[in-house]
Parts: sequence; C-alpha cells; structure tokens
Amino acid sequence: MYNIDLQSRTPIYELLYKKVIELILKKELKTDDKLPSVRELAKSLGVNPNTVSKAFQLLERDNVIYSLAGRGSFVSGFNTNGVKEKALADFDKAAAEAISAGATADELAERLKNIENNGKREENGAENKPGA
Amino acid sequence: MIELKNVKMNFDDFSALNGVDLTIPEGTAFGLLGSNGAGKSTILRLLSGVYKQTEGEVLIDGEPVYDNVSVKNRVFFINDETVQFGKMTIGDLHDYYKGFYPNFSDDTFFRLNEMIKLPYGKRMDKFSKGMKRQAIVITGLASGTDYLLLDEAFDGLDPTMRIIVKRMLVDAMLDRKLTAIISSHNLKEINEVCDTAALLHQGKLLFNRDLDSVKGSIQKVQAAFEGDVTEKDFEGLNVLHFEKNQSIIYLIIKGEEEEIRAELEKKDPKVLDMIPLTLEEVFIYEMEGMGYDYNGIK
Repeated sequence: MYNIDLQSRTPIYELLYKKVIELILKKELKTDDKLPSVRELAKSLGVNPNTVSKAFQLLERDNVIYSLAGRGSFVSGFNTNGVKEKALADFDKAAAEAISAGATADELAERLKNIENNGKREENGAENKPGA
Repeated sequence: MIELKNVKMNFDDFSALNGVDLTIPEGTAFGLLGSNGAGKSTILRLLSGVYKQTEGEVLIDGEPVYDNVSVKNRVFFINDETVQFGKMTIGDLHDYYKGFYPNFSDDTFFRLNEMIKLPYGKRMDKFSKGMKRQAIVITGLASGTDYLLLDEAFDGLDPTMRIIVKRMLVDAMLDRKLTAIISSHNLKEINEVCDTAALLHQGKLLFNRDLDSVKGSIQKVQAAFEGDVTEKDFEGLNVLHFEKNQSIIYLIIKGEEEEIRAELEKKDPKVLDMIPLTLEEVFIYEMEGMGYDYNGIK
C-alpha cells in the first residue's frame, strides 16, 4: 500500500507525503484510520526512520494526519480542497504554456473531455484506452 | 555526538586528512562518501581509536577517543578487513567482544547466527569472504553500542543480510538513538539508509548536509531560447556543464531550483525543464568540479 519508488529523484520524505495524500484521495485511507508507525514503515521500506518522521511531521503540520501520544498517527478529516486548488493552479500554468506554444482553447477542451472519459473508464475498471 | 575539530592525519609524508571539521548529532545515519583514498576509512579508524590524529581533536560526547576505554566500548567498528579474525571461531568472536562491550546482546547474536546459519565451531579463515563479513556485522549489531561504524560494510553483503542490517539499524536508531556512520560506494543504499551525508576528497570535506538538500543542490536543465545563446549568457549562474544541440541547450547548474528557475525565466525561454540530480549524479559532478574527471578516462 505504501510502495514508493526509491529510485525516484524526488526526496523520499516527499514521496511518502504524497503517497499518504494519494491514499486519502483514493479513499484507501479514511478519516481516523491509523497509519503504520514510523518504525513499521521504515522497516518495510528499508529507509531511514528520520526520513519517515519528517514526512509524518509535514503531514501533521498540514493537518493531513494527527497524532495521539503513545497511540500513533491517524488520518484527520482532511480537507482535500487545498490539493484541488494546487492542481488547478498547476493546470492553469500548463494551459498557459500550451496556449503560448500555439494550442487553441478548443484543442484543450477536446483533451479535457478525453481525460475525463479516461478517468471514468478507469473507475469502471475498463482496460481499453482510446487509441489503444 | 561526534565532533572532529580541524583534524589532520599524516602517514609519513602522506596527508590522509587535511583539516576536517565535522559534527554528527546522535540518532543520525550518516553517509560518508568519497573516491578511493579520500580519507573515509581514516575518519572511521580515528573514531574507533585505531589511530591517533596528528593534529586536532576527535571527540565522542565531548571526550577524546584515543586510548579512552570508556568511549571505545560505546563504539563498534565494522572494518572492511577481516583477516585479523582468521584464527577465531564464531564462539571466540562472541566471547572476545562480549568481554569488551557491556551492553552486548547474546539474544541478538545467537538469533542472527541461527538465521544465517554460520558454522559455529569452524575457524573463520575457512569461511568465505561473505561469511566472514556476515559474522562481523552480526557481532556489530549485537554489541549494543551507541555508535556503529560501517566501513563499506553493506558492499559485501547479500540482499537478505542487507535487509536484516537495515531493519536492525531502524530499531537501534529508534530504541537507543544509535548513530551509524556508513561509508559506501553504493549511493543507492546511502540514499535509502542515511539522512545526512558528507563528501570527502583528498582529505578535505567538500560538503556535509542533509541528504535531501544534497540531492536538491544541483539541477539538470533543458531549455530553448529565442535566438542564439552561448555559455556566456548564463554567467550569473553557477554553471557546471553546458552543452548545446541545435536549439536545445543542456545545463548542469549548482543552486536551488526556485532561484535558478527565476533567473532563467527572465530570459523568456520557449522551453524550460528542470529536474534535480540523483545522489550519484551530484557525486560525479562535485568530483568533476574537483578535477576528478571521469570524462578524461576513455
């Protein structure tokens, strides 16, 4: 569940941070679910416990998780709006780049429809992708 | 805490360490990087009291290490040489180290030996290289010290043993704030196991930092600009490498991503892609900067 790509260029604490948010967005982790301990996670991934702690501290700072002394860390009633806002800001940036490279709003709209359909298909468990 | 203060170490006319200042807080897994002969093993031998420094101070929790038993029995040195154990059996190894290390754990020692199944009564010079290495690593993990020095210790271990060592390091770091110093040429392993790293070159420290900031310290840039650009256009940046292929330029730039991006945006790029270097790439470019150029070897 917590598999991360240790060969990635992204720092390991950041990969873990993103992984937890991803699991929440995918509803694999729900409010008040318990996270593995720093020890369990560090041992199963074979990474430094201080690195895992760093990810947990950042998640707690950003109110994604909360910790109870002696009991561990839990998923908070995390507001996913922040994640959405950031994704939209990234989208605006990418869209602006595409437009300056000559793409039209219609072309972008077309792509958006495809992306949305793809997402729905994946949710329905269909394996076929358009053009495949 | 480990402190090296302006440490110099000379062997006859060869200077192995040339003024090293280094502080390693407790509970850290510290990666010691550097080419062969950079001084990594010398630092580990000073910290385990095998050598006495020519100049400067080598302190563990504020006390000098050399000839100081009360400090030395809190440090275990997993040496990359194992010939000195040739005449010993696993049993002898156990008795010898148990006598020296007050927190030696029989439980850990015998549990790991049971798992690995090393021949208990056989002399170690009859062991394979890997088995000898396993025996001494097991002893080190069982010694219960606050400081564990691993000199290229990972490099000779099989994957199962590597996982055992990594897991035991996690427990020891959390349970007794173990400080581990790991020298290795395997940067993938250092990246996973360590939180801090230092790079040594010719007896001097090039950097000593949080591993994540080491990785983010150099950027690989791919960009395209309107009109012709040359290396001169990037003089304001710390460019380590410049390469041009038609309209696309490839740059290796030292510095934080945000600052470099801001600087390059001013030139109104048509394309701008940046990725941080891997630890391995940082190592190579840092060494190249010191004239240790692998490109010269064809």
